[in-house]
Amino acid sequence: MKLRVILAILAGKLVIFLSRILGNQGTAMPGKLSRKIYPGILSALAKNITDEIIIVTGTNGKTTTTNMIAEIIKEKGYTVVHNKAGSNMIIGITSAFIQNTNLTGTKKFNYALLETDEANVPLLLKEVKPRVVLITNFFADQLDRFGAIDYIINLIKDAVRNTDIELVLNADDPLVTHFHHETGLHCWYFGFSDTEYDNTSSTENREGRYCVFCGHELNYERYHYAQLGKFHCSACTNKNPDYNFIGHNLKMRPSIDFQVNNIRITSPYQGFYNAYNLLATVSLAKLIGIEDEIIQTALAKYQPQAGRMEKFTINGKETILILVKNPAGLNQTMATMKYYATSKNLFLALNDNAGDGRDISWIWDADVEMISDKNIAVKKVVCSGLRSGDFAVRAKYAGINPDDIIIKTPLQEGIKAVVNGPGEINYILSTYSALFETRKILTAMERENTETPKQLTAEA
Amino acid sequence: MADFIIAHMYPDLMNLYSDRGNLICLEKRLNWYGYSCEIKLVSPGDNSDYKNIDMLFMGSGSEREQGLVYQELIKKADQLKAAIDDGLPALFIAGAYQLLGNSYIDSDGTNLGGLSFFDFYTRSSKERLTGNILINTVLNEQELSVVGFENHGGRTYFEDSKVKPFGTVISGYGNNGEDKTEGIFYNNLIGTYLHGPLLPKNPSVADFFINAMALRKGIEITTKLNDDIENYAHEQIKDKILPS
Repeated sequence: MKLRVILAILAGKLVIFLSRILGNQGTAMPGKLSRKIYPGILSALAKNITDEIIIVTGTNGKTTTTNMIAEIIKEKGYTVVHNKAGSNMIIGITSAFIQNTNLTGTKKFNYALLETDEANVPLLLKEVKPRVVLITNFFADQLDRFGAIDYIINLIKDAVRNTDIELVLNADDPLVTHFHHETGLHCWYFGFSDTEYDNTSSTENREGRYCVFCGHELNYERYHYAQLGKFHCSACTNKNPDYNFIGHNLKMRPSIDFQVNNIRITSPYQGFYNAYNLLATVSLAKLIGIEDEIIQTALAKYQPQAGRMEKFTINGKETILILVKNPAGLNQTMATMKYYATSKNLFLALNDNAGDGRDISWIWDADVEMISDKNIAVKKVVCSGLRSGDFAVRAKYAGINPDDIIIKTPLQEGIKAVVNGPGEINYILSTYSALFETRKILTAMERENTETPKQLTAEA
Repeated sequence: MADFIIAHMYPDLMNLYSDRGNLICLEKRLNWYGYSCEIKLVSPGDNSDYKNIDMLFMGSGSEREQGLVYQELIKKADQLKAAIDDGLPALFIAGAYQLLGNSYIDSDGTNLGGLSFFDFYTRSSKERLTGNILINTVLNEQELSVVGFENHGGRTYFEDSKVKPFGTVISGYGNNGEDKTEGIFYNNLIGTYLHGPLLPKNPSVADFFINAMALRKGIEITTKLNDDIENYAHEQIKDKILPS
């Protein structure tokens, strides 16, 4: 059996090596091959984790939260196995272990930090034994893959029942808070107290408006965003649980600055959803015993990753790349545009590949009407990607003048059109499967930009 | 009072698949044609008087929510059927469409009944019929293609050959994945599994409802809207489904 472990690792590492030479992004093949050679490979390698295995799941914020926790763990000087964005299925997680281990499969690590696709949590729990599962939130996402959000929630609930896992839960999300009730597991809760960004009514088409226990409507005193807020059931005792980690004194301009219990956190991030990601991160870091100063230092210097509000400079204009994948994320992104008083060019690459969700009708649940607001000052909307037409229609019916809507299906052409628009800032939005190519194009444009002036000087 | 009033039936319960896109579309197009439009929200227990209503719209919901709406509508079934017989324009999506038949048999095999407006039944199945769909239909004697996305566990079967489908499936599943029928069509009512949502990318279907509403008020709409963007989106999906 030991031989098969080594063979599986060797084969996996070889695939990683070859795909690097070929310049592929693919993270599935190594895991797939290793698992074929030795199906128990993930369980075997997970035994090398000396401290804790941590799983992060939920609809939005998985990647950002996991990346920030990894930064903190590294700042502390611990070693960690961490699967990178886009490889959050069991195969991708296996690949991450293969990549980090040595040829004999014996290298030890302090932590494993596993961003896990919701539907893969039950599969993963059959192979690894985590101490903690953190759930960020649940939103209707990729309905076509899962049928309905209730189904996925029950799947995870069944998988954690009868284990000794500790749960770290979003106390402001009624679709998350009920995990304690049916699993009896020990739960830690994070949530926000009142903030100046709250609303007392909601216009969004939201999940979880009915009590999971009795089916009556939930009453909200405040909404932080979407269904996250201060709620209680109109008929039974269901309400937000008491917080263990409470976010307060939140300021979001120009970027996030707030307190978690008595720790002050500053971050280059923007938007309420990122405030939740930071709150979840700090809660988890405290639970595994990391010192306040280390958490503060790691988060203050942590720079957003690919598509999580990554910044470029093109033609001297600030250009922001943001991943969008569902109505809540798109709404939040559009809401952050208000923080910039300058005019904007907006680009959205809408794809309908498997990784994006085949059904793009979610764009009709987002309040795209926001971008026709004069204060947001969107000058041009460039629609790109395999379903460019759908977003163009959405923008038109949201009140954007059809003359200001440009359809350029190929990404290269679309990005070229948007950076030449009349606005002072470029907002580049992309669904998952168009993100890497979009980023590549932006990186190349930024490089050309910085090189051109030098050549001009040389000629002069 | 607005020129046209569209009743959005039970939006708190029946709102599963971005259905509000259909209403945004109708309201905007009416505005562009020069008319005002009010979307009137109808909740369980509200009085139903169809006299001042120009069109009905109901989206899809989960099995449980569909059951609640059924309990509500069965009390008002006669009135509703009379209005539909009279030619009241109506669009019923997925779960709402299923309610109009004789019965809905859920995943446990229980018959949950139906409003029995039309002779068809629906049987629930675990395996969902999901994906882009292309159908052909005839509206106002014009043959046209309709695109959308379907995602339904229910299979609908006609029990009487006189029931007319909304369209013929060119690619996708439709009512049951077997007989190439999609939805139902009766007077100015369309029941369908297409969400997507249906109307924005199929402006001819949106205009079918708008013209029907207008004609009932003695208005004839002669203006033509520029639908270049809508048609681009329509053709883009069509090309995806049927690569040329």
